[in-house]
Amino acid sequence: MQKGNQLTRKIIGRFLRAISVAFWVMVLSFVMIRVAPGDPASARLGPGAEKAAIEVLRKQLHLGGNPITQFFSYVNELIHGNLGVSLQDGVKVVDIINRTLPITIYLILLSTLCALIVSIPIGTYIGWSGKGSLVYGFRGLTAIFLATPNFFIAMVGILFFSVRHNWAPVFGYDNSFPQNLHYLWLPVAVNTIILSSVISRVLFSSVSETKDEEFVETGIIRGVGRRRFFWFYILKPSLAPTVVLLSYMMGTMLGATVILETVFSLPGIGRELVGAVLTSDYPVVQGILLYFGVITVLLSFIGDLIAYLLDRRVKI
Amino acid sequence: MKLKSMSQRIRAWIARPGGVGIVSGIFMMLTLMILGLLVPLFGNRDDAFVGKPFAPPSFQYPFGLDQLGRDVFSRVFNAVGVDLGVAFLGVTIPLAIGTIVGIFLGLNRNKYFLSVIGSIIDGINAFPLLIIAIAALTYLGPGLKSVVIILSLTNWARYARISRTKAVVVTQQNYIEAAKTLGYPKWRIVLKHIAPNVSSETIAYALSDFILVITVVAGLSFLGLAARPPAAEWGSMIADGRNFIGNAWWIVIFPGIALCWAAVSLSFIVEGLSRRDRGV
Amino acid sequence: MSEQPLVIIDELKIDVRLTRAKRLPIVDTATFDVKRGEIIGLIGESGSGKTMLCRSLVGTLHRRGAYIASGKLVFDGIDLVAAKGAQWSEIRGKQIGYVPQSALAGPNPVMLIGAQIEEAILQDKNFPKSKVKERAIELLNIVQIRRPEVVMHQYQHELSGGMKQRVMIACAIAQQPQLIVADEPTTGLDVTVQAEIMRLLLSIRAEFNTSIILVSHDLPLVNQICDDIVVMHAGTTVEKIPSKDITHAKHPYTRALYDSRIDLVEPKGKLTTINGQPPTVGSWPAGCRFSEWCNFVRDECRVPQTMPIIPLGPDHYTTCIRYTELDK
Ligand SMILES: Nc1ncnc2c1ncn2[C@@H]1O[C@H](COP(=O)(O)OP(=O)(O)OP(=O)(O)O)[C@@H](O)[C@H]1O
Ligand code: SF4
Ligand SMILES: [Mg+2]
Repeated sequence: MQKGNQLTRKIIGRFLRAISVAFWVMVLSFVMIRVAPGDPASARLGPGAEKAAIEVLRKQLHLGGNPITQFFSYVNELIHGNLGVSLQDGVKVVDIINRTLPITIYLILLSTLCALIVSIPIGTYIGWSGKGSLVYGFRGLTAIFLATPNFFIAMVGILFFSVRHNWAPVFGYDNSFPQNLHYLWLPVAVNTIILSSVISRVLFSSVSETKDEEFVETGIIRGVGRRRFFWFYILKPSLAPTVVLLSYMMGTMLGATVILETVFSLPGIGRELVGAVLTSDYPVVQGILLYFGVITVLLSFIGDLIAYLLDRRVKI
Repeated sequence: MKLKSMSQRIRAWIARPGGVGIVSGIFMMLTLMILGLLVPLFGNRDDAFVGKPFAPPSFQYPFGLDQLGRDVFSRVFNAVGVDLGVAFLGVTIPLAIGTIVGIFLGLNRNKYFLSVIGSIIDGINAFPLLIIAIAALTYLGPGLKSVVIILSLTNWARYARISRTKAVVVTQQNYIEAAKTLGYPKWRIVLKHIAPNVSSETIAYALSDFILVITVVAGLSFLGLAARPPAAEWGSMIADGRNFIGNAWWIVIFPGIALCWAAVSLSFIVEGLSRRDRGV
Repeated sequence: MSEQPLVIIDELKIDVRLTRAKRLPIVDTATFDVKRGEIIGLIGESGSGKTMLCRSLVGTLHRRGAYIASGKLVFDGIDLVAAKGAQWSEIRGKQIGYVPQSALAGPNPVMLIGAQIEEAILQDKNFPKSKVKERAIELLNIVQIRRPEVVMHQYQHELSGGMKQRVMIACAIAQQPQLIVADEPTTGLDVTVQAEIMRLLLSIRAEFNTSIILVSHDLPLVNQICDDIVVMHAGTTVEKIPSKDITHAKHPYTRALYDSRIDLVEPKGKLTTINGQPPTVGSWPAGCRFSEWCNFVRDECRVPQTMPIIPLGPDHYTTCIRYTELDK
């Protein structure tokens, strides 16, 4: 009864948080465009633009008139799902996002899956064995991977797999299923290296904590079978911190993919964002940002929820 | 006699948990900084066409020459100041702002005010640093100066969260209560008791944040949003060399190694310190 | 010849590996038998090696870097010193039920209580799946848990200390083992619950003729339900004595315990009332390890030697070489 209430309250809390993140994105982009040096409209259109064109753009950006009423009309449009149109080519921002977001999500999910496959055995094995030399090597290696920027790992990957051997194309993309892997495997591999370094580290430290717990010994003494023991006595009790971190990392990966998509010329939302920034395409930047904010809040909520379902010791 | 005991003491210090990491990290960082200082002063050859473009690494040009015939070695070490400097500002300014804001929030009792600021902090922290930086650059325009401004405007939120949590904990401690009842002025309590406790926590985070900020700055430059050519900066050098990676790998690899070197040395220090803290 | 005892522990020595070359004895040495259906109370102060001794019976010493250095350890005719994986899986959870010392941390936090009891039941591969639930509830009834259906669907953090303890006992008896090792099953519980747990153990023995090794700090409490008492001090079993004879103990340490002159729970603070601190592992004095606190000590007690096991009856021995002097 009480637990159910707690959960509901948590859900409502997260929902409010998503709204507040969205709200601040709106406010900040609304304010930023005004306080930024120079007139954004004429800056975007470049010198020698016609006065009329500039006026049209100013209106589109809600720049003229009373800021308060402008803000309300702007928020009103957003609430009705109207994120505006790209200043570059007049395409609806919603359409741009719908076109590019799936590719990015695909990339992130694929990387997450690979990272889990890699890091669960490594993290649990090293945590469970606790062998000094192994731990030392593991920590050192992951520290190096974590400190290395993804675009450099990507460049090294390209050097080996695209330049030396023609295994991974650096340009182009194909949306259909097995073909797209041909374009995606190298970026996914780069993400996986970094992500699995993080995950396996956290898993490693929680497994080495779990290992010394009394209930683990109880399981051994009870004679629990190998598979059961691995899941119920090693992995499941250690998984909660990993899940929480993973959900956070998936949000962070949105940032990482911005760079990777640029390196590999993938038509994802990250590259779209960079393009929009370079061309001062304000509506597009803002729309993408709104999506990112809501996605990260959502992800961290899902992470907390899964962690709680796995392990009731987690406070929700 | 005395010297020996000194070296013994140093050795004992290194032998404690994390010592190897800390020392090798500091050593790596110092090497980089010294080269970053000496190379621009002596033997700087960061000019176009000091030799044939795309000349591979040789005795004369250990890191080879780039597409404009510039010495990659000089450029890599010329960039030390830019990369570390920008990252340094991008850490210390938010550190200062965030710590102060956090302490202020920790002491504040106004519920509405706290929830508004709290939601701003949450809002900022909901985004990866790189994303916020990229987005904000839309409005400020690309450039290293913008990057520092943006980092100062956004990254403080992470510090503020840490600082606030700690400040709340510290204020609830007995000696603070005692100091309050003794009637010490508030600023004195803050300066003497709260600020040192809180800042030790935020500074610890700053060290690991440094790694992140270095890679974010380089990443932004790589995207062409921070340092722009022809400035010597690791990220933009890597972006430059990207087009020629097929026939001149050195243009990309050496700045990349320098970047990793800086980040890895910091991460060794951070790792070592945290191990020392936990005593394992 | 009488029937073979269920457990034979003979001059058992357990060492812990500190570094590659350094070894430290923590049990040195233990000797006693456990007959079928017998309840043995294993008493001693903190750090005397009781838990380590218990762990040697279920083969988990290696988790603490410890191992059996020498001596004999036999359970139901199986040599546990040389036991291998297959033998252990025959013994663990089936022949020996174990209630861990910190039973409060014993239940698995990520499994429902019911799932854990069912897991213990299903260690018997032939147990019909359809009857598992029924049996789990039966077990919870045996350990006197009220409303077992509710408890089955709870996690350990929702239970009180006494309930966790009972759950651990329920798991331990699921297979009707021949031996239950209960490592301080009452520590941290209040007095009424302590008495209930004691009664519970007695009733389990009465019903299944289970042997029980009951570890405790509290000699007067345990003495009420045990057949024999084994007293440990500084890694050694210094006396084994039938509980009815406890007032005629032949070791000064046993006497001190029974008179409650030593508060075992807080050794550092209280033992000073006798004389200084209890010996810590690794700094045991030569000869009799109790010599520093013993009122009967003579020089001969401090001669470097292994204290002899002096039989005084079928279930009674002492290691005090001056036992004849104690009542003078
Ligand atoms: N890995 C280890 N390294 C060194 N010493 C150890 C190790 N494991 C256990 N010991 C020592 O072995 C001794 C015996 O421990 P044990 O847990 O058996 O004592 P105990 O009699 O059960 O005490 P308590 O009543 O507190 O449970 C303790 O002094 C402990 O410090
Ligand atoms: S052997 Fe000596 S020192 Fe030890 S208990 Fe007996 S009388 Fe005391
Ligand atoms: Mg014990």
